[in-house]
Amino acid sequence: MFKFIKQYAEQIDNIDIYPIISLFIFFSFFVVLLVMVKRMKKERVETLSNLPFDNDELTNSNFKNA
Amino acid sequence: MQVEKFYYDNRIVKNFAYATILWGAVGMLAGLWVALQLVFPQMNITQYGSFGRLRPLHTNAVIFAFVGNGIFMGVYYSLQRLCKARMFSDKLSNIHFWGWQLIIVAAAITLPVGLTQGAEYAELIWPIDVAITIIWVVFGWNMFGTIIKRREKHLYVAIWFYIATFVTVAVLHIIRSGQLPYSWLHSYSWYSGVQDALVQWWYGHNAVAFFLTTPYLGLMYYFMPKAANRPVYSYRLSIIHFWALIFLYIWAGPHHLLYTALPNWAQSLGIVFSFMLIFPSWGGMINGLLTLRGAWDRVRDDVILKFFVVAVTAYGMATFEGPMLSLKSFNAVAHFTDWIVAHVHVGALGWNGMLTFGVIYWLIPRIFKTDLYSKKLANNHFWLGTLGILFYAIPMYWAGFTQSSMWKQFTEAGQLKYTFLETVTYLKPFYAMRSLGGALYLVGVFIMFYNIYKTVKKGSLVANEEAEAAPLAKEYVKHSGEHWHRAIERKPVQFMLLSLVVILIGGAIELIPTFLIKSNVPTISSVKPYTPLELQGRDIYVREGCYVCHSQMIRPFRSETERYGEYSKAGEFVYDKPFQWGSKRTGPDLAREGTGNLKKSDGWHFRHFREPSSMSEGSIMPAYPFLMEQNIDTASTAAKINAMRSLGVPYDKGYEQYANSDLMTQANSIRINLKIEGIQIPANREVIALIAYLQRMGTDISKNKTATYNK
Repeated sequence: MFKFIKQYAEQIDNIDIYPIISLFIFFSFFVVLLVMVKRMKKERVETLSNLPFDNDELTNSNFKNA
Repeated sequence: MQVEKFYYDNRIVKNFAYATILWGAVGMLAGLWVALQLVFPQMNITQYGSFGRLRPLHTNAVIFAFVGNGIFMGVYYSLQRLCKARMFSDKLSNIHFWGWQLIIVAAAITLPVGLTQGAEYAELIWPIDVAITIIWVVFGWNMFGTIIKRREKHLYVAIWFYIATFVTVAVLHIIRSGQLPYSWLHSYSWYSGVQDALVQWWYGHNAVAFFLTTPYLGLMYYFMPKAANRPVYSYRLSIIHFWALIFLYIWAGPHHLLYTALPNWAQSLGIVFSFMLIFPSWGGMINGLLTLRGAWDRVRDDVILKFFVVAVTAYGMATFEGPMLSLKSFNAVAHFTDWIVAHVHVGALGWNGMLTFGVIYWLIPRIFKTDLYSKKLANNHFWLGTLGILFYAIPMYWAGFTQSSMWKQFTEAGQLKYTFLETVTYLKPFYAMRSLGGALYLVGVFIMFYNIYKTVKKGSLVANEEAEAAPLAKEYVKHSGEHWHRAIERKPVQFMLLSLVVILIGGAIELIPTFLIKSNVPTISSVKPYTPLELQGRDIYVREGCYVCHSQMIRPFRSETERYGEYSKAGEFVYDKPFQWGSKRTGPDLAREGTGNLKKSDGWHFRHFREPSSMSEGSIMPAYPFLMEQNIDTASTAAKINAMRSLGVPYDKGYEQYANSDLMTQANSIRINLKIEGIQIPANREVIALIAYLQRMGTDISKNKTATYNK
């Protein structure tokens, strides 16, 4: 099976550019992640961080959204 | 909505907790024993108790038995509560528990017997690897089953860490276990030399990342807020912590191979990502510590919080040190020395150990519906543990630094100032102090054992703990403008796939080019496959765990080329399955043992194996008298040659039929050499094969100084 993959991968020109592309993809991924996280609503963050606790007031506010 | 009544399974949590304590004590006892062996080599009792076989037992026991059971204890407790559901299947829980314990027992038997694959933290032989795969799938199945039938819509951050752990460990284990079996107990690695090294440290480092770190971060995110009785400091930070950590970690492996024959681009990639790791790691540490904001006064009284604070602080120290050690200039000093031993023990004793103890003290009284038997004893445990870590780590840092500077010192005349042996004997007091630290830590564990025993006696197990929650609404209408991450948080399978993609990218980019691009491993035409006798000898070298103390990798520093000879080239290792570069030099490097000024006579090696200190006074190497009594397993030669050939080693077709006669011819010539030196021994003894292997090491290159490098 490995030979099969190898055959094809060897034919790809400039395979060395792949790392750079992937770095770019993930750099953008993190930028998007940061923006999204920054924009999360405060109540929602609170709800989520209270998940380990049984104080159902907070946890149950979750279900209201459903 | 109608509230449903259900029961949490506490019995399985209890089982894993007991196993954690038991194997923790066993693994640490093994650690103390091997530590003492470095001070008193006489403690290498019989072949089954020699350092090279027991040290893997210690590492495997601590990682997979102690921490492994610790993970499952914490996951089975927290997952049920976070999902508001009982575990998916009691049967799967039990298969998982007993299967894992059987694997541990199998490891505890096979390693001292000398059955090993010779790769650090992946020593276990292939049938055990298969069993691990099956049991891991059982664990994943049970976990996803529980997540799917959960009554809480959102997956808390701890569960993400559990999911990432599951999926990544599966990938790592399968790729590292790529072996071609040639008997029911033995196999050769699919990979060889440089490729094997890269796979090994991609695996090895991520075993640290995804077995010792991510699951424990999940536990931290659950148990720390529970113990402090306040939510995690920043949930936003935990999201970033998670994604950044799992993305970056997978790339970091090559920092274990700096200055080696690994292609430079891979080393650089490893350095960059290892350095970036400091950000998510410290983000996580700060998140953990700041969870205690406004509750610091309680840390004074609450022993569980004390354990957690030391654990998270140790995590912070180890993850600061890790990126620093990945920088080439630090690495040049620290690699192969006891510094690394100190570093990993700050992680293992501090982060994993202290967090585990905190969780045990928190959880056992709860599932037994009682109070802890003695807070005072728990406090004593805490102080013994903390002091134990200091007494362990400080001498080892000191030893590492001393060792490295002694290796590198030259006299004014330009010669090496110290022989290797001088550096070893100088370090003995440090090894003794380290044993003291380990002993203190272990005494703490015994105190916990007693305290938990008394607590359990006092209470009674709530095997099925009642709970209530409303079921999830079947229909879920997505509202517009919803946060994408929020959608992912509800979908465990998609979540797993996304984590899989994230980790595969890093892994694939590092591994695939090394396999594909031929110029990454320049071949050297004078490097030839091992003779049958050398191959048998090499397998004995692997069996005895020589790689635990001896490297086979000369780095391109003057201090190393002066001591050991020409620096190692990637092309020299193309027939090495598994590679044996090692990661620690308790003894000297052996890459050029058979050539140059390191070459010794066959008789020297024989006497050295029989009684190392007779040839090197003050040596702490174990004696190997049994090699003079055991016969070479010639019955396996043909199978070994065949297996090697299918893995690409160019033995001629049909060579397996007369390999043994070649083996005996070479063995006889060594027997005659020994006879000339006054040693009488039959040619078929194991020591002969091992001598043949040692005499071969490094000779390929010196045979042909103008070796052609085929790009």
